[in-house]
Amino acid sequence: MAVKSLSENETAPDDDTRRTLLRHMLVARGVDEEARRLQKQGVLDLWPSCEGHEAAQVGSALAAGPAATVVPSYREHAVALLRGVTPEELLAQWTGRTFCGWDPHRVRFFPYTMVLAAQTLHAVGYAIGRRMQGLEDFVVVYVGDGATSEGDMSEAMNLAAVESASVLFVVQNNGWAISKPAEEQMRTSVAERARGFGIASAAVPGRDPETVFAACSRAAAHIRGERAPFLVEIRVGRINGHTTADAQEVYRSSDDIARTKAADPVTGYADRLRGQGLVDAAWFAAVETEVREIRERLTKEYA
Amino acid sequence: MTGTVRSPCLAESINTALADLLDQDPRLVLIGEDIGRLGGVFRVTRGLRERFGADRVRDALLAESTIVGQAVGMAMSGLVPVCEIQFDGFTYPAVNQLVTQAARVGGRWNGRISPSLVVRIPTAGGFRGVEHHNDSNEALFARVPGISVACPSTGEDADQILRYAVALGSPVVVYEPIRLYWRRSSPPRSAEPARSPTAARVVRRGTDLTVATYGAITDEVLEAAHDLAPDVDVEVVDLRWVAPLDMDTVLESVGRTGRLLVVHEATKDVGIGAEIAASVAEYGHDALRGPVRRLAPDRRAYPPGDFEKDYMIGVREIRDEVLVMTK
Ligand SMILES: Cc1ncc(C[n+]2csc(CCOP(=O)(O)OP(=O)(O)O)c2C)c(N)n1
Ligand SMILES: [Mg+2]
Repeated sequence: MAVKSLSENETAPDDDTRRTLLRHMLVARGVDEEARRLQKQGVLDLWPSCEGHEAAQVGSALAAGPAATVVPSYREHAVALLRGVTPEELLAQWTGRTFCGWDPHRVRFFPYTMVLAAQTLHAVGYAIGRRMQGLEDFVVVYVGDGATSEGDMSEAMNLAAVESASVLFVVQNNGWAISKPAEEQMRTSVAERARGFGIASAAVPGRDPETVFAACSRAAAHIRGERAPFLVEIRVGRINGHTTADAQEVYRSSDDIARTKAADPVTGYADRLRGQGLVDAAWFAAVETEVREIRERLTKEYA
Repeated sequence: MTGTVRSPCLAESINTALADLLDQDPRLVLIGEDIGRLGGVFRVTRGLRERFGADRVRDALLAESTIVGQAVGMAMSGLVPVCEIQFDGFTYPAVNQLVTQAARVGGRWNGRISPSLVVRIPTAGGFRGVEHHNDSNEALFARVPGISVACPSTGEDADQILRYAVALGSPVVVYEPIRLYWRRSSPPRSAEPARSPTAARVVRRGTDLTVATYGAITDEVLEAAHDLAPDVDVEVVDLRWVAPLDMDTVLESVGRTGRLLVVHEATKDVGIGAEIAASVAEYGHDALRGPVRRLAPDRRAYPPGDFEKDYMIGVREIRDEVLVMTK
């Protein structure tokens, strides 16, 4: 069997893309920090932080490209922002104003779905429906490690495989479903499980956005070339609790939490690009200004 | 007995309506287990795959959550999916997608999409079906905001309901009584049309008592009413929809007759009859000459075939109940 493969080089991001990756990661981090601050003040009812997931989210979303429709779970804030959801729109539902603060059509980023894995079937159905109408049918669906135990996830993988739907499944495996460790959630990796359904897959570490970008670019090329689904499982670290409502110290060792914080993808990638001379102090200052303005706008809007 | 009339049966009317809709609207797709090659286990979709292709008359994977879940995604993409669940008792794996997703996506999108999505469910008993093939779970969905629930008892009504449902912009569950699919003769009904596609229908005019009912058992109610005439003159309201309930038509009827009996095949407790009785107590009390009564099976599982006669409400029970109420 001839296996088509793109080499690392063909999918590695160029320098502009690398700066873009870092900028989106830093903005997402700033918004997340502000959201957590506002939640502590009682302005937000709840916030599921995406700290630690930024490289996975930004790398996958950038690789999928603007034509793809994104069907998120509920923690894909960095993807949302990258797709053009404004920070004000992103926070609106967590302040209790609405169930969805943005126009999903405008940004091709669907509303968050709180019922775990329900969105995976919507994603496949949407891709099938778009293909039937002769429209762009590439869909990216996000799901967490715990949610892959839901029947809908297995059904969606099987449906996507049988229908050969143009769906990229992005599993962010942060090792936890609230307090349940991923090792107790499954005996195999999700990537391995996907193959059992007849879906090509890859498992990649999620600390380096370039690795994620490359893997998801290859996955996207596979989907567009073969008109068949692909699953990428990205191992990430969850820096904060599941949401602002739980104290992870109750079920997670302090060592583990410290290790995850130390492996922060945002500071890691910032240091790397700085070290390589791709970004300088002036560049960081500009991003900081942008983030400060966003935070001020959020405070003004909601606090 | 006033005899019976022959009319196109329910399955034929639905088949014709679906063919028409597929013909008129390229966005319409049918999804269900065995609906294509076989034409459905009740042959309701017979011939449609040959005529409209396997892409539009889709033999679904054997998974009910998949059927409705993908339909939600298809509806978001601009298609109008009409799903078939094989039997009422196999609806449950799809309940999550119906209740938490189909019913809510329009609101979640702040009205930016209003997806039309129809789920057809063969329902009810009376044909010695094996376990889970005789259920009546319409009340389950009737209390879910965002879902409309239709219970047609004739082919003509099913046709009107389907045409309305595919354009509604929110999900509709249509319960199709299995024992009516191929029944060709039924008690005569008044030709009076319903006031609107979602309105109830006064299928027999009378002066002494109103029976509000819906679905397959409407035929038994009509038969009982004809049997009782001319001694007792029963008015029969076929609700046709249990969500929304057309209480206006029921209250107007009770205003004329002063008595109300609700008859349904689904179990009595916390059912459609309770809702109607409560509404009449609230808004129609002045018109009542006696207490509202309900006639429906006790709260127990649909039994094995040998015991179904004992479980189901028959013509005799309806007649007896009316006589007690009008004594
Ligand atoms: C069907 C369903 N069951 C339970 C919940 C409650 N719940 C919300 S998030 C969550 C854990 C999900 O873990 P995972 O899929 O790994 O995603 P993560 O939160 O780690 O990103 C649970 C149990 C839910 N939202 N939906
Ligand atoms: Mg997780």
